[in-house]
Amino acid sequence: MEPSVSRYAVNSLLYRLKKEPDFRARFTADPAAALAGLDLTEPERSAFIARDMRKINELGGYLHLVMSIPGLAAH
Amino acid sequence: MGKIVFAGAMSHVLDPEYYDRACGAVGRQTVEAVMAEIARMGERLSAKKPDALIVVADDHLNAFSFNAVPALCVRIGRDVQRMTQDHAEAFDKVLEHMPERYPLHEDLANAILEQGLEAGFDLALSWEAPVDHAFLSPVNTMHGARPIPPLVPIWVNCFVAPQPTARRCFAFGQHIARVVARSPWNVGIIATGGLSHFPELSLPRVGETDTVFDRKLIHWMERGEHEPLLDLTTAELHKAGEHEFLNWMVLIGAVTPARADVRYFGELRRINMAAVEWSLP
Repeated sequence: MEPSVSRYAVNSLLYRLKKEPDFRARFTADPAAALAGLDLTEPERSAFIARDMRKINELGGYLHLVMSIPGLAAH
Repeated sequence: MGKIVFAGAMSHVLDPEYYDRACGAVGRQTVEAVMAEIARMGERLSAKKPDALIVVADDHLNAFSFNAVPALCVRIGRDVQRMTQDHAEAFDKVLEHMPERYPLHEDLANAILEQGLEAGFDLALSWEAPVDHAFLSPVNTMHGARPIPPLVPIWVNCFVAPQPTARRCFAFGQHIARVVARSPWNVGIIATGGLSHFPELSLPRVGETDTVFDRKLIHWMERGEHEPLLDLTTAELHKAGEHEFLNWMVLIGAVTPARADVRYFGELRRINMAAVEWSLP
């Protein structure tokens, strides 16, 4: 895997989940509703709804974010 | 005339609880061993009575969001706050219980920035960015209860592609050395992170390291052979999990052609721990 410019939508969402406790709480309560209207592909949306951090990382989510989101982190 | 009076580089998640959870008892023992060496390095730094301590480290998407990711950024202003994170997990937890604010060496930071732009380094600047474990874990481990000198935090974008090149980081370090030499201050410099971990930033590969690559880097640093380091590519650093070696390249540029002494190197499943100090004239 070569380093390359990564996908903004996935990482900005990860960043919000880490840094915005209110958004994180809405996501935890109802992931599909929290993601409504966001510019995500179907595989990205499905990975987030399943909280599949491995898949999100595979889709370009930065490792340090997927490892450090409170309550959702993969270790 | 100013002088770099201390130079060291070290791993930067310095938390026995974290490594106990991640790697078991051997994780705790390894990080405690490297922390003991880093504390001794801190004693030698303090003995030099530095006017300032430059800390070259990377952001973990804490200081900078996706509205701007600077390749090289100098923190200016009077003081810097530690990053805060609600319900912190993993490496963010190490920040808990650390002091919240740290004075900066405003004049040195401004000199690195202003003279950098005059010399062709298009540096970013920040008055507000907080510092995370990459800065504060080594700084606090080095100093313990002793006073921490005024800091000059400098970020290198190690993770968000495209990153600056190893050669450019080295050249920036040479710039720092020139600024210090023209200044009236005695300055310490540390670079943090590494060594090999998190190859390709791939979650399934967390737990792999590239010890052969680490030993190659150490070989060149010990001999003061810096030419081969300049040719390291972003792709090979990414593959080997050596992203944070870009921080070390800044330091190496600042002290070249000094040779490194390895104070500690320990292999761990999750990361190879290192503490290295340079012999300065």
